[in-house]
Amino acid sequence: MGDISNRYAIVGIGESERSRKSGTTPLHMALVAARNALQDAGLEAKEIDGVMSYSTGDSCSSHQLATYLGIRPSYVNDVMGGGSSTEMLIADAVGLIEAGLVKTVLIWRSMNGSSGKKVGRGYDPDMIQEAIDGGSFIIPYGSASPSQWFGMFATRHMYETGITREHLGHVCVDFYEHAQRNPKAFLNGHPLTMEEYMETPYISYPFTKHDCCVELDEANAIIVTSAERAKDCKSKPVYIMGISARECHPHAHYWSDLTQVASDYVAPQLYKSAGVQPSDIQVASIYDCFSWVVLRQLEAFGFAPRGEVGDFVAAGNLRIGGSLPTNTAGGMLSEGYTHGMNNVLEIVRQIRHEYKGTDRQVENCEIGICTGWAGPDIAGAMILRN
Amino acid sequence: MAYQKPIPLKNQDNKPYWDSADKHELSIQKCDSCHKYQHPPGPACSKCGSPKLSWDSFGNEVYGTIYSYIISYRPFLPGFQDDLPTVIAQVELEGLPEIKITGNVLNCNPDEVKIGMDVQMFWQDINEERALPQWKLR
Ligand SMILES: [Zn+2]
Repeated sequence: MGDISNRYAIVGIGESERSRKSGTTPLHMALVAARNALQDAGLEAKEIDGVMSYSTGDSCSSHQLATYLGIRPSYVNDVMGGGSSTEMLIADAVGLIEAGLVKTVLIWRSMNGSSGKKVGRGYDPDMIQEAIDGGSFIIPYGSASPSQWFGMFATRHMYETGITREHLGHVCVDFYEHAQRNPKAFLNGHPLTMEEYMETPYISYPFTKHDCCVELDEANAIIVTSAERAKDCKSKPVYIMGISARECHPHAHYWSDLTQVASDYVAPQLYKSAGVQPSDIQVASIYDCFSWVVLRQLEAFGFAPRGEVGDFVAAGNLRIGGSLPTNTAGGMLSEGYTHGMNNVLEIVRQIRHEYKGTDRQVENCEIGICTGWAGPDIAGAMILRN
Repeated sequence: MAYQKPIPLKNQDNKPYWDSADKHELSIQKCDSCHKYQHPPGPACSKCGSPKLSWDSFGNEVYGTIYSYIISYRPFLPGFQDDLPTVIAQVELEGLPEIKITGNVLNCNPDEVKIGMDVQMFWQDINEERALPQWKLR
């Protein structure tokens, strides 16, 4: 891709209700999110000519969504993917528009992440063992939950860098605090103190339930178009300054070299493409399937040197009012979980100054970073501006 | 009582590893092109893409150190509910540090497990045909 800086924008965002038990299908939730995004952008469904989604086999298809939006787009695509897919699909959308194949793309993710099928509930262990690359080397040992895989990475990284459980706790406590300002956060009304955090029993040491994202039923949608067409939209466009993605380590569930993560390679490309530095970033959405991944990404994206990221979070930098307000809606740890997409919606709202006049708005934020991370294997990230 | 936990499934790529394990022997896949070892094994070398692979035996006296670990307090799979908390570790092989093998550290106090501890592989016979490589503190 050539220089796409500031030539494309996110012009619409929308979401469904979030709950533990939606009582409905991913298709119904996706329709709600898509219609909300269209309304936000001030666009008619027929103006969408590309529809793209990702899932882990837990959703419906873009073809189905388009069908019931009553549209016949010229391009639909569904990819298998998790936490870095939002950024990768936005990059795909930019590429498709750049190539002249489409003009306006709807990107969505819908999942009954709480009431639907997931590991340890409803899946046959032999099926999981075959589905995961290298599955026979972990499933017989009881290692089937992402909390166990990410916990394994965290324990080693904590050992190497001196990060403590209190440091993990700062990430949780700060994000939960943000959720208390967000009436739509699932854990609104459930504040968390460091004392409570430290006393909560482990699920998988070093993680408690607070270190793990709130798995919910929810759908999100995003509309991407050119800067030129963005002028006709009702919403305030948020421009894509730079976007980058990368594959790295071969086995996501079997990470044996913690000195490298995909984010380490994505970061330099990202800052170069956007023409900014970490010090220019005023607000952040950092992928937070687990508390620890936030710490590792803060290192990777240059917000704190290796070995100092614990002090960085302990100093309150992630809070609204801190130097890098992060996951200001509560993040996946306490707002909701759609494999990263809800964090994109929040950064768009912050950069639009949608919360102006309230205690949720990061004042005068013009430039924000949004990262997606599915594991040690893949990362995607983007930098957005007002 | 019959073994309740998942049993390793053999497939085209991992069969030599599990066939060896059943005979109480550790085998690791090696690339004939770049001469690097890899684990988990695969249909080609994950470092250079070469399909020329072979297997090296490391016998039945296998030592290592704990590279990382978690302590699982919930059973995410059937059969583990009676063995909580479960220590799941990645073990760095002695003499082959690029290889890490996941296993349980058995017969230990989970709270005493630490990164860097010396461990030894042993084979847990899980039924008449199959054996599972496991670890014990040294
Ligand atoms: Zn090779």
